[in-house]
Amino acid sequence: MVGSNKIRKWIKKYKTPYLFISPFFILFLLFQLVPMVQSFYYSFTEFDGMHTPEFTGLKNYRNLFKTGNYAFWDSLENTVIYWMVCSFFIIVFAFGVALLLNREKLKGKAFIKTAAFLPYVCASIAIALVFNMLFDHNSGLINDILSRLGFEKIGWLTTSKFARIPVIILFCWRSIPWYSIIILSGLLSIPADYYEAATIDGGNVIQKFFYITVPLMRNVLFFCLITTTGDTWKMFNESYILKGPAYSNATLFQYMYENAFKLFDLGYAAAIGYILAMVMMAISAAQFIFRRKQGNND
Amino acid sequence: MGRKKRYFAVVEFFLIVLVCLVCLFPIVWIVLISVKPVTESMMGISAIIPKGFTLENYKRVLKLIPNLPVNFFNNVFVSLVGTVSTLFFCSLAGFAFAKYEFPGRNFLYLFLLATMMIPQETGVIPLFIIFRKMGLVNSLWGLIIPRLATAVGIFYMTEYMRDVPYEIMEAARMDGCSEFMIYARIVCPIIKPGLASWAMLTMIARWNDFFWPLILLRNSKKYTLMVAISLLPASDGLSTPWPTIMAGVSIAVFPVLIAYIIIQRFQVVNVAAGAVKG
Repeated sequence: MVGSNKIRKWIKKYKTPYLFISPFFILFLLFQLVPMVQSFYYSFTEFDGMHTPEFTGLKNYRNLFKTGNYAFWDSLENTVIYWMVCSFFIIVFAFGVALLLNREKLKGKAFIKTAAFLPYVCASIAIALVFNMLFDHNSGLINDILSRLGFEKIGWLTTSKFARIPVIILFCWRSIPWYSIIILSGLLSIPADYYEAATIDGGNVIQKFFYITVPLMRNVLFFCLITTTGDTWKMFNESYILKGPAYSNATLFQYMYENAFKLFDLGYAAAIGYILAMVMMAISAAQFIFRRKQGNND
Repeated sequence: MGRKKRYFAVVEFFLIVLVCLVCLFPIVWIVLISVKPVTESMMGISAIIPKGFTLENYKRVLKLIPNLPVNFFNNVFVSLVGTVSTLFFCSLAGFAFAKYEFPGRNFLYLFLLATMMIPQETGVIPLFIIFRKMGLVNSLWGLIIPRLATAVGIFYMTEYMRDVPYEIMEAARMDGCSEFMIYARIVCPIIKPGLASWAMLTMIARWNDFFWPLILLRNSKKYTLMVAISLLPASDGLSTPWPTIMAGVSIAVFPVLIAYIIIQRFQVVNVAAGAVKG
């Protein structure tokens, strides 16, 4: 009986924290782990959502990677471009905005800070509809300005060559505010004495930036890179509304959505989902390993 | 030196003006176009110049989407209930991770952080089938229940709660306060700024959510605002006039925009950003 007494005591001692954290783990099991395992099985089957899945081995994956499968290769290429281009612009511009907002003597700081955050508050769907109007071939503002300046009108969303540009601009426009706030809070945590010491030693603004600001901001910037990676690989809303010709600006995620919920080829869509998950996890892991190696060199 | 400084100030001023313009322009555009009579020119720059003023476009949106008031209510419901419930469960879990010693705590916390790397959307197909079995398709609860406790939310809450002193909790325990009461009456009031900031961010995300409502809600009465307005361009053939679309857009954008502007003077978002310091 001593044993059961001990167990009872143990339960009494620890039940509260376990109870408090249990909702997350139950939801994770039910809505994340189970679907992931099921999805893995579906990716090897032919499944329309109604009948029982029929096991077809690697067929979905073979079809996916077939050289003639332009829809897949195009959306993969687009996603990689969005990932690289958007991450780059978001971090560079967010850093710039954060540096501007970090100036002590800035007049109207409260107003500027509010204004600069508003894009993040707007729904991407809503602003995508605005962009549809701005980038319209005939009557859009962008083309109107271009033609007034003597350039030719560009078929932003009607030619596959340019269709990615509005998507990239929209995604960056909406993301930069959030990242600039994160970077700004990092900048504010750098002790002012560091800069004072550098000033006494005769360091100029540029030297201070590269020898104090950037090294101390490494962790924050790394966090930003990890999150922009996740966000861009899951991009959907922007290219869903700003539709270009065929798959000229579609993302991989969108390709999965269309196969699952428009064509009801759920097995094939599950395979796309798995490829997407694998790539995302591989990129995150690579970034962490790279970061750790760098950390050792410091 | 003086001239260099003045030059610097001018460049800075222009950059700030540029940032504000770029941020505000699409929002101002929505308002200007949405009150424009449809008969006016929508060509390029000339579209900005206000001539007539009309609320006709808002009436037309209501005619095009008869369920718009219901859709609006759905959005309010999902955002409010979703935010309050997720705030409760995330802060409760954050409280446990930050303030209790229990076996496996560090492992479970690391595990929780690692789940953030797994994109939930990749399991969307079986998830949809699970939802169908549970009767959560076409139900607004399907947007709320799976996200009652999210890893990101718990991460933020845990980081805020770390600074709450143990002494206060011990004192309350001495007075016979239950563990839940310690959470509700003592810890939550202390971390109010953290709660407020996470609430605002969750609210923005839930209000603007599109992908999950798109796949889960298959009945126009159940749509949220975002799904409803995403169908606007095609709902009247190819010819839905821009002012009408912009009227719909403004109904979707302005409620949360105004809520943010009212609440932001408490610096809510900065608090959330402060939790991320590598």
